[in-house]
Amino acid sequence: MDPKARNSIDIDTLCHKAKEIRKHVVRMVARHGQGYVQQGLGAADLFTVLYFSELHLDGNDLERDRCILSTAHNSAVFHATLAVRGLIETSRLDSYCQDGSQLEINVSERMGASVEATCGSLGQGLSVAVGMALSARRRESRARYHVILGDGEMQEGQVWEAAMCAASYSLDNLCLTIDMNNMQAEGHIDSVLNMEPVADKWTAFGWHTISCDGNSIEALMQAYDEARDVKEKPSVIIAGTLVGSGVPFLEGKLSHNMVLPKDVAEQALNFLEA
Amino acid sequence: MSGSLHLGDFTSAANVYGAGGMPRYYGDALVASAASDPRVVALGADLSAPTETDVIRDAMPDRFFMVGIQEANLIGVASGMAKMGDIPFANSFSVFLTRRCYDQIAMQVAYPKANVKLAGFLPGLSTLLGVSHQAIDDIALMRALPNMTIIEPGGPDQIVPAVKAAIEIDGPVYLRLQRADRPLQKDQTLPPFELGKAQTLKDGADVAIVASGLMIGQARQAATKLSKRGISTAVVNLHTIKPLDRNAITQWARRCQLIVTAENHSIIGGLGSAVAEVLAEENAGARLVRVGLKDRFAEGGSLPYLLQKYRMSADAIVEAVVEAS
Repeated sequence: MDPKARNSIDIDTLCHKAKEIRKHVVRMVARHGQGYVQQGLGAADLFTVLYFSELHLDGNDLERDRCILSTAHNSAVFHATLAVRGLIETSRLDSYCQDGSQLEINVSERMGASVEATCGSLGQGLSVAVGMALSARRRESRARYHVILGDGEMQEGQVWEAAMCAASYSLDNLCLTIDMNNMQAEGHIDSVLNMEPVADKWTAFGWHTISCDGNSIEALMQAYDEARDVKEKPSVIIAGTLVGSGVPFLEGKLSHNMVLPKDVAEQALNFLEA
Repeated sequence: MSGSLHLGDFTSAANVYGAGGMPRYYGDALVASAASDPRVVALGADLSAPTETDVIRDAMPDRFFMVGIQEANLIGVASGMAKMGDIPFANSFSVFLTRRCYDQIAMQVAYPKANVKLAGFLPGLSTLLGVSHQAIDDIALMRALPNMTIIEPGGPDQIVPAVKAAIEIDGPVYLRLQRADRPLQKDQTLPPFELGKAQTLKDGADVAIVASGLMIGQARQAATKLSKRGISTAVVNLHTIKPLDRNAITQWARRCQLIVTAENHSIIGGLGSAVAEVLAEENAGARLVRVGLKDRFAEGGSLPYLLQKYRMSADAIVEAVVEAS
């Protein structure tokens, strides 16, 4: 296994995995009646590419790649990805958001392995990954450290502390993926607090900046290929995603925590299974 | 001329950093620990000299990580390193290390039981840098966090066993540290302590002063003065504030009529509150008086001036005992 190469999995298989993940997301949120379905559908492709193509999850604590979900509320797609990837039993998805379940609506370390940090309080994940990347470097590990950050999280000052720190330490084993779905609890990001130009900000902070279509499996694979080859700089992939992606009548429908009635869920599943 | 130009130091009564062979108990203990344990690393947030981490920075540069003036990031980085198997010591002034990044400590250190050691300096009123730099609620904050151990050495020489104890604990520890500002006199030294066991420094039958940190010195002076007045006064060093030695507190309360807590901290949420909880729950009988900062902010000034002004000096302890007796 070369930590500096993709896992061998073809695009068709990845597209199929992404569809499986989307179906789980709809079922999981529908069972609860409401939740983060739109974000989950939007991010399904980037979770798929990360967990199936990019991350090397075998090996000991020092050797394996790690991924921190800083947007811990995007939990349906996270848990679904773990299940499709075979990291947790698929039957456990049925307990999502149920009392006593370890599959909480904000992903926490109660889950055990696969959860590298308990975020949810936004803006904290990147700092933890910086620490992991620093520690890996001093121990001469070739593992890579990934963070999935929501675009709204960039409003948190700590993100920029971590950004400055990662660049200062030239952490080329660190890769940040920003899920740019233009949605936060209050509404459209640019109507709440305009953060543009986002790419210029990261470049100015000393990062290698890659912009791509976050709903294109192929574009995401190419973005991670590029990031893996960068030397002396951390990389950020600014992945534009469409909320509700994959289900035409949900696409672009803006809702942070969306009520998902059973009949709508059924229609969505019918579409995904067609 | 150049011989008279030194690095000044507002954070110590010694005024000039590292002058006159000033003992650096923490800095040396950290280097010794790092030398014997490859997992130990130190993280700084701009304040190497006043946190004595310049010692490890210079002696073992590959074990020292400066993150700049970024306390929130400091905590996350420390947590990430701990999750990789390191034992990071995160260093800053107590007030910035606890109050400024409380949520980060709760979520990235306390909740996951990360093996992070928080080393905070300038406890309580110990600085002329004023209200922004005075940690008057740090113990209250750290005490409220599940999984957190809190150690406040009774004097600078007890920093050595404190660092050792912190490393032996596999989990989060808050060290509340006061640097030595002069070589310790013989009557100021303290024997090493055992984690979680209150340390009796002086026996007594009428009053027990339960203190921590630099208030140990005030408590010892107060006890001497009280004994001259015929009031038999014990001095107890409560170096481990969490978990608390409930047994020792209960026994002192059964033995003495009056318990006085003396802390360099607000009387709300710190050592005084912790002792009050035990006395109430154990129905131990003794009356309690809390000496400390009485629900107010202080100001910049010399330590003797501030202790006197805010009724936390040895004389204030004596008065509190006399009033309550």
